[in-house]
Amino acid sequence: MGSAGDLRLLGRRIPYIEGPLKVSGRAEYTDDIKRPGQLVGRLLRSPWAHARIRSIDTSAARAMPGVAAVLIGTKYPTPFGVLPITHDETALAVDKVRYIGDILAAVAATDERTAERALAEIRVDVEVLPEYVDPQVGLSPVASPIHARGLLGTNIQKEVTQHFGDVDAAFARAAQTVRVRGRFAGVTHAFLEPLVTVAEATPDGRLTVWSATQVPHYLHRSLSEVLRIPMHRIRVIKPEVGGGFGGKSDPLPHEIVCAALSLETGRPVKMLLDRDEVFLTNHGRHPTQNEVRIAADADGKLLAYDITALIEGGAWSSFGTVTTYYNGVLAMGPYAVPNFRYHGRRVYTNRPPSGAMRAHGGTNIRYSIEVALDELGERMQIDPFDLRDRNALPPRSLTVNQLRITSTSFRKCLAAARERSGWDQKFRKLPFGEGMGLGCGFYISGSNSPIHFSPKMPQCTVHLKVDMDGGIAVHSMQADIGQGSNTLLAAIVAEVVGVPIERVHIARVDSDVSPVDLGSYSSRVTFMMGNAARQAAESLRDQLLVAAASLLGYPIERLRVGNERYEVDHRPEVGVSYTEALHKAIEARGALTATGSYTAPPMGGSHKGARAGTAPAYSFAAYVAHVVADPDTGDYRATKVWAAFDCGRPLNRLAVEGQIEGSIHMGLGQLMGETMSYRGSRLLNPSLLEYKIPTPQQMPEVECLLVGDDDPEGPFGAKEAGEGPLVATLPAVANALYDAIGVRFYDLPITPDKVVKGLEERRREGRVWKGE
Amino acid sequence: MHLDPFELHRPATVEEAVALADRLRGKFDFLAGGTDLLPNYKMHLNLRPNLIALEGIAELRGRSPERIGAMERLLDLERDPTVAATLPAVADAVRQVATPLVRAQATVGGNLLVETRCFFFNQSEPWRQSLGWCLKAQGDKCHVVPQKGKCYATFSGDLAPSLMVHGAEIEVAGTSGRRRVPIAEVYDAGGDGIRRHHLAAHELVVAVHLPSGARGRRSAYRKLRVRPSFDFPELGIAGAARFDGDRVEELVLAAGGLETYPRRFDEIAHELVGHPLTDERIRAAGEALIKQVRPVHNTFLSPDYRRKMAGVFTRRVLEAIRPGASGG
Amino acid sequence: MGRGVVRFELNGQPAEIVTTDERILLDLLREDLNLTGTKRGCDLGTCGACTVLVDGRPTLSCLLLARSASEHSITTIEGLTPREGLSEVQRAFVEHGGTQCGFCTPGFIVTATALLRENPHPTQDQVVEAISGNLCRCTGYSKIISAIRAAGGP
Repeated sequence: MGSAGDLRLLGRRIPYIEGPLKVSGRAEYTDDIKRPGQLVGRLLRSPWAHARIRSIDTSAARAMPGVAAVLIGTKYPTPFGVLPITHDETALAVDKVRYIGDILAAVAATDERTAERALAEIRVDVEVLPEYVDPQVGLSPVASPIHARGLLGTNIQKEVTQHFGDVDAAFARAAQTVRVRGRFAGVTHAFLEPLVTVAEATPDGRLTVWSATQVPHYLHRSLSEVLRIPMHRIRVIKPEVGGGFGGKSDPLPHEIVCAALSLETGRPVKMLLDRDEVFLTNHGRHPTQNEVRIAADADGKLLAYDITALIEGGAWSSFGTVTTYYNGVLAMGPYAVPNFRYHGRRVYTNRPPSGAMRAHGGTNIRYSIEVALDELGERMQIDPFDLRDRNALPPRSLTVNQLRITSTSFRKCLAAARERSGWDQKFRKLPFGEGMGLGCGFYISGSNSPIHFSPKMPQCTVHLKVDMDGGIAVHSMQADIGQGSNTLLAAIVAEVVGVPIERVHIARVDSDVSPVDLGSYSSRVTFMMGNAARQAAESLRDQLLVAAASLLGYPIERLRVGNERYEVDHRPEVGVSYTEALHKAIEARGALTATGSYTAPPMGGSHKGARAGTAPAYSFAAYVAHVVADPDTGDYRATKVWAAFDCGRPLNRLAVEGQIEGSIHMGLGQLMGETMSYRGSRLLNPSLLEYKIPTPQQMPEVECLLVGDDDPEGPFGAKEAGEGPLVATLPAVANALYDAIGVRFYDLPITPDKVVKGLEERRREGRVWKGE
Repeated sequence: MHLDPFELHRPATVEEAVALADRLRGKFDFLAGGTDLLPNYKMHLNLRPNLIALEGIAELRGRSPERIGAMERLLDLERDPTVAATLPAVADAVRQVATPLVRAQATVGGNLLVETRCFFFNQSEPWRQSLGWCLKAQGDKCHVVPQKGKCYATFSGDLAPSLMVHGAEIEVAGTSGRRRVPIAEVYDAGGDGIRRHHLAAHELVVAVHLPSGARGRRSAYRKLRVRPSFDFPELGIAGAARFDGDRVEELVLAAGGLETYPRRFDEIAHELVGHPLTDERIRAAGEALIKQVRPVHNTFLSPDYRRKMAGVFTRRVLEAIRPGASGG
Repeated sequence: MGRGVVRFELNGQPAEIVTTDERILLDLLREDLNLTGTKRGCDLGTCGACTVLVDGRPTLSCLLLARSASEHSITTIEGLTPREGLSEVQRAFVEHGGTQCGFCTPGFIVTATALLRENPHPTQDQVVEAISGNLCRCTGYSKIISAIRAAGGP
């Protein structure tokens, strides 16, 4: 399913189709929805990090005028969670609370103030339990495990051990080894649109839920499970969503609680979380400690990786099982490594839960590896680019842990970044305080396996409908969260059918009419939705070609798709318009429909957890960063990033660049100052003032170098560009900082005080760098 | 988020405002630009049932080389070429406050009397309730320095130190009339983060006055914060000097963002008077200032780092104002 | 507790509304007047999503009492959108990819419109300074800045 020859629309810069609505304030987000008779829902959150609930007395709250309902966990105790194998959350706390912020009760009232005053009347009696915040402690049996399912009385949620080849033998014969220990603070998505849900139970026995979600289908399933209502009686609608990045990719407790309040009151309920509540909901990138040991031969060919990771999970599992695999498995690209050992553990703690965040599981491990390779190259006197190049994964290969590599233009990325940045003239040659660094990236283009195996179904289905007016309506549960998937969907349909993009309308995501797509996570949308869309569009096109053929008296094989026209190949004057063909086609059976779907091919080894990390394709990256540092204050800035990225064929250059630039912003944030900062179990900075996402002055100039070759299975040759672009950012800038001031950092974020300390230490050790 | 109900009063004159303030007996807050007050009110921090809005009082407006009304918006100061020309430190400070959106509403008076800040104070009500109320808001202990029984909330305004080094005074209106106070004397020396200043509850800041000697000084303000916008100062150093050729004739140094109040460093400044500002003298001044400040860990950056930077920023301010430098 | 009438100019038309003293302008706009184009990102003045023009100046509507709008002119994103089509700035944001999820976009459009009215050909630094109070998590600001400069014209 490779590329097409001349593409009319795809491959260009395609402005977002809903752009005019967004720039005029007319796009409808969940908080813009107001249902008649709507109540306000508010949550009572636990002030205890870990406690067993003895009783909750809601009588005073219920009696307050203006209060329509008060809910506690015993009403809906069914556990849920995004992964079927780890259903360990409940919508409201049932027997225990597990972090400061965990939901104890909910109120629906006429207005916010009344709801807050009602919450203040709820009496909760608990038995306080020991709190656990150090994942190291959680590795051994503890007095009060946070979850009963923790391994053998510990707080371990998941443990993964993998060994391929013979790592110890490889280290024994290695010419050179290097070890890096990385320590990463947790970070969070900080999307601009807060979490919000509107739910409306109606007298016909149906429940409609509008929510800011990346995963309407998973939300649909979880609502049904927890509320004990069949899915067909629940309708999930996804309005415009203001960013997700993985923070809206779980069904979240407040969504279920909001729906429950509507069931309880028979009225619509809106639940809008305050910004500090959004921080408490978290599901961001896990605080992680990893250790990477790398062995290489005398030519700098990599012989082995030996990796351990201790991952701090917070109160729930969320995607944690996947996280635990990814922190090892995703190390296995973009380089070929014949021996690999990984031991990873994720530990529950009494803190806001971590989950999936852009480049989930592939960011922290990538940092440690890229910094280790930088050190290795320095020690072996091999240029960082040469070292990467000689170890690049070949195309159409299998990694030693059975990840199937199809297309890779990683070497082209290296060449482009090296050349465009002027690397050879600048690396190690700029004055003290200025430096260049290389960092590389590798990420999945969609998780190969679905999460649910029952019923068996495609991972994306797209339905098209076109009637006499000629507008093509597209139905799919694919979730545009700002990354431009609606536009891509419309563009693919327009391209294949031969109509301008204005003719294609993406219907609002509505579980009543939208066929299932699994949602926006693991960077699956371009690849999987794109393929499904192409298939659907080809089916529609073929129906129109049949009609055109019959009008023209030519066989279909002689026809080609023109510009709103179907014409005879090499005789373009002979043809019919799109409308003529359409009207012919609908004569007998009315509005045309077409369907397309995508299921990833089976792959993966036979070892435990083999599917984790498999993907129908991977993206690759090589970034060069130029950094300037102020040695007196420790302040530093990336002034420019040359971002060479392999997403196969970029189908919408505007969107791909936007994703790269946005990813660099987010990666820089994690490197330079974003921290979920705790004192024990207490989150200290649940605000956009104290959680430091970079401001415009802090962004470098970004030059995108899109050098990918077509992927054989991606739609028109495309692969992902939503998460992969983040990965290379952190090591590129950190390695550039090393080039600038001669100090390496293993403890993120690298804040100015750490830079100052690092410089002091270097001076104390008597090490000179670039003359300083 | 919502505000709890209050009564909004809109006096038309200073005298009306003072009379109202006196009558309400401390059960009120003055509302200037609202950019500091309203976020705190939304988090239910020390709510009062009355707000006295100052926007309608004409006497509180006005900008001239000698006088800046307390309700002048920071954005207007930022755009005023006279401020840039005569009060460079103030120009430095004002353009670094928060963001342009905040500066459109924020006022001179509001920034001078900005609420002190602390990680344990500037939090939502449920957060503070779960930890236990702190001294500064309904409680009886400080979570930063538990044993001392006083509040360590940090003074977080940029204008105070930069006006201090220009010898500015504020004009205050109270029930017994008007008085002038040098800015350096407004704040509670050695006091705590609650009792931030010496003004009485009913007193209103009317204007900032710049004595004629204030102008014509070379001055600069340098601010440390994590990000280049939004963030409050983690420290701010101001310096102003008059030179006779190379030699310092007069010098004032002040700092904010490090302790519960902004203050001058007269001993350190005095050492520099009568001499040229050599690199060596500048370095020594920085070292000396480090020894005199004791920030606590209630802001994003560590106290250790802020102290080190107090030295670096003192040097940078002095370098900026010495003759021949492009700044100042 | 207190209540009163607020009279102000809203998007070029006189507006008069009775409201409580503690009502915040953002809430009045979104909930009482159904002008949902102005967004609520944080409610505490820390993100810029709620930016409106007050007397032509970009200002945070989440930190303004509704009653403080009295006697002022308020312009929201709705007021900056022409009857037909889009303004130069709006068009530029669409064409240049200055909007992704779009949630921060109305705030940026308001800020950018004010900037370009005052300074039709801002430098990179001037644009960065003007937008330094508006956060975006999707774009990394790159295309926002190029959109604003493009809208200014040659």
